[in-house]
Amino acid sequence: MSHDIWVWVAAFLTLSILSFLYKDNPFYKFAEYLLIGVALGYGIAVTWHSTIIPKIVIPLKEGHQYHLIIPMCIGLLFWARLFPKYAWLSRWPIAFQIGAGVGIGLPLILQADVFKQIQGTILTSAILNNPFNAFSAIVAFVGVVSTLIYFYFSLEHKGVVGGIAKIGIWYIMIAFGAIFGYTVMARMSLLIGRFQFLLHDWLGLMR
Amino acid sequence: MRKLVPLRICLVCGIVMLIQFFIPHNYSQTFFQYALDWLIVCGVFAVVIGLDSNFRLHLTRIIRRKKGWGYSLITMVAVLSVAFIGIKFGIGADSLFMKIYRNVEVPMDATMFSLLGFFMASASFRAFKAKNKEATVLLIIAVLMMLGRIPIGYFMWDKLPNLVEWIMMYPNMAAQRGILLGVGLGAAAMQLKILLGIERGWLGGAGD
Amino acid sequence: MLLFYILTQISTTPLNIIPPSELTAYDNPNDDGKKINIEWTLSPDDSLLDGYEIWRSEIKDSGYYKIGYIGRQKAHYQDAMQVKEGVTYYYEIRCRDRNYNYSEFSVPSEPVVSSSQWYDKNKTNVLFGLFLFSFIILGAIFQAKKGKTLFIRKINGLDALDEAVGRATEMGRPVLYVPGLGGVGDIATIAAINILSQVAKKTAEYNTPILVPNCDPIVMSVVQEVVKEAYLEKGRPEGYNTEHIFYLVGSQFPYAAGVGGIMVREKPATNLFMGYFAAEALILAETGNISGAIQIAGTDAVSQLPFFITACDYTIMGEELYAASAYLSRNPTLVSGIKGQDYNKLVLLFFLILGSILGLMGNNFIVNLFHS
Repeated sequence: MSHDIWVWVAAFLTLSILSFLYKDNPFYKFAEYLLIGVALGYGIAVTWHSTIIPKIVIPLKEGHQYHLIIPMCIGLLFWARLFPKYAWLSRWPIAFQIGAGVGIGLPLILQADVFKQIQGTILTSAILNNPFNAFSAIVAFVGVVSTLIYFYFSLEHKGVVGGIAKIGIWYIMIAFGAIFGYTVMARMSLLIGRFQFLLHDWLGLMR
Repeated sequence: MRKLVPLRICLVCGIVMLIQFFIPHNYSQTFFQYALDWLIVCGVFAVVIGLDSNFRLHLTRIIRRKKGWGYSLITMVAVLSVAFIGIKFGIGADSLFMKIYRNVEVPMDATMFSLLGFFMASASFRAFKAKNKEATVLLIIAVLMMLGRIPIGYFMWDKLPNLVEWIMMYPNMAAQRGILLGVGLGAAAMQLKILLGIERGWLGGAGD
Repeated sequence: MLLFYILTQISTTPLNIIPPSELTAYDNPNDDGKKINIEWTLSPDDSLLDGYEIWRSEIKDSGYYKIGYIGRQKAHYQDAMQVKEGVTYYYEIRCRDRNYNYSEFSVPSEPVVSSSQWYDKNKTNVLFGLFLFSFIILGAIFQAKKGKTLFIRKINGLDALDEAVGRATEMGRPVLYVPGLGGVGDIATIAAINILSQVAKKTAEYNTPILVPNCDPIVMSVVQEVVKEAYLEKGRPEGYNTEHIFYLVGSQFPYAAGVGGIMVREKPATNLFMGYFAAEALILAETGNISGAIQIAGTDAVSQLPFFITACDYTIMGEELYAASAYLSRNPTLVSGIKGQDYNKLVLLFFLILGSILGLMGNNFIVNLFHS
């Protein structure tokens, strides 16, 4: 059994969270509210040390990067939400964040989610050297096309379109089954990890 | 005016960052770094709004002695003490702050994550009921995936791991590609509409 | 001592091997001026080697220092080690075998100066794609303004929203709306906010409480505005309760713990999960299942969709989430945006099929067009 008080604290909190599986109870509630509080406190302290000091205080004081006053003034407008009469001003920093995010993301999405996927799907003569490769590539090609048709919104899923969309949904279910099955082992290993902590680190029952 | 200015800010910022993507020049890369720093600096101030909302929620419960006010007190004490310890005494590897993080938050985070092991079992049990053909396919493939990655699967049929790998590489990847293509087009369309002010949901209410 | 002496004698024995020739160095195109490409003709004795050492100097005849190493059978190297724009560099190469014997240095390259370019030609296809994409979307939107009625196929999850809110009203219990982990720049979150606007109008109309715990303070600000506006629009400003829309916490699992707690204590009749979710998706959905609520989920996170499908009554997948605001509002401009997306899909399908036909005949023109 461990003599470290911190291990006992961790074990108590672990069991409190696990008790939720039985039903909601004061131990779980205590752990939940404590977790939220500690996570918020952690976020504040990390923001202070990893953002406010190195990205604002030091550049201003020592680096003389006075241009940072501009985003600070924009950021301060968030606080206008605290005064209902001026709450509309908080839209400006939101617009800044969204606009920049959209400008950065739009070409990247086209490049990564569209171009790369199309490039990977197009059949080439390289598949013809092996019948099994050719079959597999065609299976993949049909999957991509039928899934795209499934997400086609302008036509009812009837007739030919309906038939292709049906193939698409089969492919989607295969993919979801694969993801589900693939993830099970990873999740189970997390659970095993927590039991190992309780049985080995805390109680010393495992070697 | 109250909607027009944010829409124009969104448009200008968006176009500037869009153009930047195509310019590899040193000046452009430096500008991009500055822009990222500006976004981070600007975003930090939003944390205060979140904390204000959270503190109001808990303090209201404590002051009015609403149901569960004791737990809200725990949250408030935890936030303030952990934040104080971290800011005052540092967040180095051997600090009290990191001890609290490693022995309080990390075990609870990991345990929440591990609850997925139980929830996966209950979700699988529900999926076993297989209400329709599509759910049956999902179930069969999931079981094949699980069996294909453990020794008993190989014992049952030595080609099972190869089949599982083939399913992962071809039909699974094909469907994911199709979904990604749709998502990519949808997201790009939405971003374009936001940039041009056609999609205005993010502006919130009129407030005018 | 004797062993050490022998080793040093071995390591300084020059290789009787012809060094690489025709060494050329040139500025890497379409970059920020921090890379130089070096190419050479392999040594005729390449098969006996382990690889090649690349050396650099700012003066032609002296001051060389090693900057890299590459294995044999490779005749190309990219120097990205603190290359400065505008500075002249010279390069030399020598061979090395497995026993660390070296050949003579090659003839130095011609001087090369790195420079940055104002336009990345490699991204021309993306630029063209962006213009074509935008043209199609805007063209579709322009068509809508001509008053054409446009059709969107049924999306079950979105049709069920009415029923879900109605159920909560009948049972006298609140609706729980979870906008996910994403920030306000996340498209899934913006789509979730659009759906929330429609849901809030219904809860305002039926006088049903709506709880919205948030993971991001900026999203919380926008959500508060959206819900308040919905209540104002329905003439029920007194029904809006700012305490019901709050910032919970910014981390994934504490957020899941908090929302789980809300589900078991407030016992909402309807749970709506819309936006970006990660591993906590199953925790939320299963906890909601235990509490007996009707659940509708919508996300673009492909890895979480299987879990939502098994645990929720309805699931809105991927692109369907983005179509939600058009579908629910039936605003002609928004619906025509969806049409534009569909036209773009047709263009992609055309390229896929044409590209495959040409590709199978050995012509990779279309494949190369999409190279990025």
